[in-house]
Amino acid sequence: MRFSGLLERPLILRGELEYLGPGRLGKSVAAPYREQTRIADGQATVQRGERAPRTFALSQAPELEGFLRGFAALLGGDAAALERDFTIAASGVAANWRLVLTPRDARLARRISTIEVDGAGREPRCFRTRDADGDVGVLLVDALAETKLPVRVLPSQVETLCRGGKAP
Amino acid sequence: MSRAAQRARAPLILAAWLLALAALAAFALHGLRIGSDLRSFMPPPQTPDQKLLMEQIGEGPGARLLLLAIDGAPEAQLAELSRGLAAALQDDARFERVLNGAFDPAALDPALLPYRWLLAPTLDAHTLDATYLREQLEQRVEDLASPAAALLKPLLPRDPTLETLALAERWSPPKPPAVRDGVWFASDGAALLLAQTHAAGFDPAAQGEAIGALEAAFASLPGADAAHLTISGPGYFSVRVSTTTRAEADRIGALSTLGFVVLLLVAYRSVPALLLGALPVVSGGLAGIAALAFAFGSAHGITLAFGFTLLGVAQEYPIRLLSHRRAGEDALASARALWPLLATAIVSAAIAYLAFFASGVTGLQQLAVFTIAGLLVAGFSTRYLLPRVLPARFRDAADTPGLAAAARWLDALPRPRWLPWLLTVLALAVLWRAPGPMWQNDLAALTPVPQELLLRDAMLRGELGAPDVRYLLVLAARDADGVLTLSEALEPRLQELVHAGALDAAELPSRYLPSLATQRARQAKLPDRATLEVALADASAELPFRAGLFAPFVDDVEAARALPLLTPERFATTPLGARLAAMLVARDDGALGLATLSGVHDAAALAAFADATHGAARLLDLKAASESLVVAYRERILHALGLALGLLAVTVIVALRSLRRAWHVLAPMSLATLLVLVVERACGISLSLFHLVALTLAAGLGLHYALFFERPVADAAEGRRTLHATLVCVASALLVFGLQAWSSLPVLRAIGLTVALGVGFHFCLSILMARGSAANATPLSPNRKPPA
Repeated sequence: MRFSGLLERPLILRGELEYLGPGRLGKSVAAPYREQTRIADGQATVQRGERAPRTFALSQAPELEGFLRGFAALLGGDAAALERDFTIAASGVAANWRLVLTPRDARLARRISTIEVDGAGREPRCFRTRDADGDVGVLLVDALAETKLPVRVLPSQVETLCRGGKAP
Repeated sequence: MSRAAQRARAPLILAAWLLALAALAAFALHGLRIGSDLRSFMPPPQTPDQKLLMEQIGEGPGARLLLLAIDGAPEAQLAELSRGLAAALQDDARFERVLNGAFDPAALDPALLPYRWLLAPTLDAHTLDATYLREQLEQRVEDLASPAAALLKPLLPRDPTLETLALAERWSPPKPPAVRDGVWFASDGAALLLAQTHAAGFDPAAQGEAIGALEAAFASLPGADAAHLTISGPGYFSVRVSTTTRAEADRIGALSTLGFVVLLLVAYRSVPALLLGALPVVSGGLAGIAALAFAFGSAHGITLAFGFTLLGVAQEYPIRLLSHRRAGEDALASARALWPLLATAIVSAAIAYLAFFASGVTGLQQLAVFTIAGLLVAGFSTRYLLPRVLPARFRDAADTPGLAAAARWLDALPRPRWLPWLLTVLALAVLWRAPGPMWQNDLAALTPVPQELLLRDAMLRGELGAPDVRYLLVLAARDADGVLTLSEALEPRLQELVHAGALDAAELPSRYLPSLATQRARQAKLPDRATLEVALADASAELPFRAGLFAPFVDDVEAARALPLLTPERFATTPLGARLAAMLVARDDGALGLATLSGVHDAAALAAFADATHGAARLLDLKAASESLVVAYRERILHALGLALGLLAVTVIVALRSLRRAWHVLAPMSLATLLVLVVERACGISLSLFHLVALTLAAGLGLHYALFFERPVADAAEGRRTLHATLVCVASALLVFGLQAWSSLPVLRAIGLTVALGVGFHFCLSILMARGSAANATPLSPNRKPPA
């Protein structure tokens, strides 16, 4: 889900995110369009619809690399790796916690101000990426991903959802 | 005038002389600009290729390109330094543009932004209808959900089809390196930049300034001390070569000056004689510079270097005066006695150099003016000034220990008459069979760039996809727009050659600006405002974009419909205009376009491609063109030398009033010159312009030896004085030029070896052929006045 100043309603994508081991991620968008992204061995391959896949080296986009490393570390539970790339602020209780990650790398910080993760117990349920320009990307996982959302959902409503509140 | 009165006036004359020299120096330094542009030392171009070469050598886009690499620090810091350096040089007047791979929306002048529809090829294949717009906008939605969003967001309202990105990609170098962290990086991890200077590549002075500014800008960047900046490219090489040449020439100069001073002290055992003996040559040099300042206002650095080399002859004049002074004789009287012969030598050399004037090459004419003025002033000051300031006390050179024995030994040497003829025949035979090409046509071979720098340059050039400096594709048409039309027509065919592997990439003028016809066709395809608004509404109906978000886009398309087409003249005022301007050359009868080529693997395929255009396009090999220019230049020098030799012979015959005596002077000189050629050719040395100039100098020295040895002498002591003078001259010349012959730089080695060999041969042959004849001549010639 993406809230942007350019868009009058948020962009809501559905699909799957797979953690395939250290440094490997798979992301597939099923709706409203089809897109497959695989990240492995420092290479990202993106295929949209029927078009030929595009492959590029992650090192060409260091900010993306940092972001994905953080993401992989989160999903893989690698606290040490996470600590290397971000400063971490934790709050809440075990049944309802929040981590706020601020990138250490200056280049990544120019693009992304924070990554907020909400979860309960061992399960994260909501990732929110705040861009430096105020746009927000939200990733709802597992049970929350199935939530029916109104077309013009508001950022505050998503916030409530992430904090364990009811769906709007 | 009594000797006492003369001696009293000596300090006054010396003071006046020094004062005059100071004034001359002030005028010369003030009035003369030293040019470093190689072209003023080249003959006027004859063929169109040579003409183009003269403009392109140094000034062509490829030659003005500096390749930069920054390494030695973490990647993030290198990228920061790359950005910092590009920003620091952006407004520097010495640089036309600095590229580091960063996408810079400002590269397209905001006023020109609507022109993107006419400049980019998008409209050749598409129209701005609902179908195309929907496809584009759907991709933008997907882009917004991707990590690329941050980069693209600012562009979208005005440019949803990303036309500016398409243009930026089109205008980046043909084969750009990998972009990491927003800037170019080489495969070995160094940040890469391209800097285009305004100054010509082969103008070491201006290039030195630009490179100095570049290095200073880099050094002042935060964090620069940890990293290392590498510079390469023709401009950097010309600076490097000119500094190393100067450093080595200075070192050799200092060493030989020291040796020269010791030699003169040993020969004359007098410090005043040494110091005063330097005055005529100093006067000659300053007079030469002043004459250049007066006649030309500027001179090429090479002219001065050659000129000072040739002026080395003038050091003989004071040496002759010092050696020939006999015991009890007044210096003025010895000068008077020497003068007829000295004057013959000076005048014949000066007349010979007049031949350089006929060459029509500015550099050679300057050389003639410098040398003639220098020789005349050095000669006349030796005759009229030096004797008046020399100290009265001196040692007669005839009494030098061992000299008498040496003279006796030399006199006793056998002088077979057949020897010179045998030598001549052998020489011609060797010359005929000598290995290697006779002439060195590659000027670059004389000032070589160290191999490791060339390898590094090739590596950087490959990484950056920077154009080859050797080949250019020249497009000829009626006018600039014709060139652009032709360039568009050639683009697909050249692309086929790239795919076939004949070259890595080509950069055509139409990459920057399409022809007027193409622009007009694209403009005609732009929809009017109402049509576009309907199409846009249709395209974005199911997409989440904010209503009215694309109003700036609609305005731009509307503006583009009414734009006057972009001509090369108008385009020249934009930041990228200079790039195109460098690729378009106006000619009286039309226009030329210059396409740079990168990574040429198959020049023959390119030449065949050019031939197939029936003259519309030509492959210009700058190396071949420059070699043809060197050949033309050498022919002119050879003609000038031939003429000079003729004039010299006539002068000597007239001065000596005897064909037989003239033969005794000219024969050893000519044979010695031939022998120098033979030895160098037998060693496989190919001859260059520098060898020819050095031969001229050696011949000038040889003329002196022969003239003085041939001179009939009154007594054995005078013969010993001649021998003493000649020995001092030979030793000093061997010292100075022998040191140069050991230089690591081919230019200095060429001059040093040739002159040192020449001096040796001239001396030996003069002794054998000219001195031997003197023994049979009349004991008292009209040239030699009896001592007072």
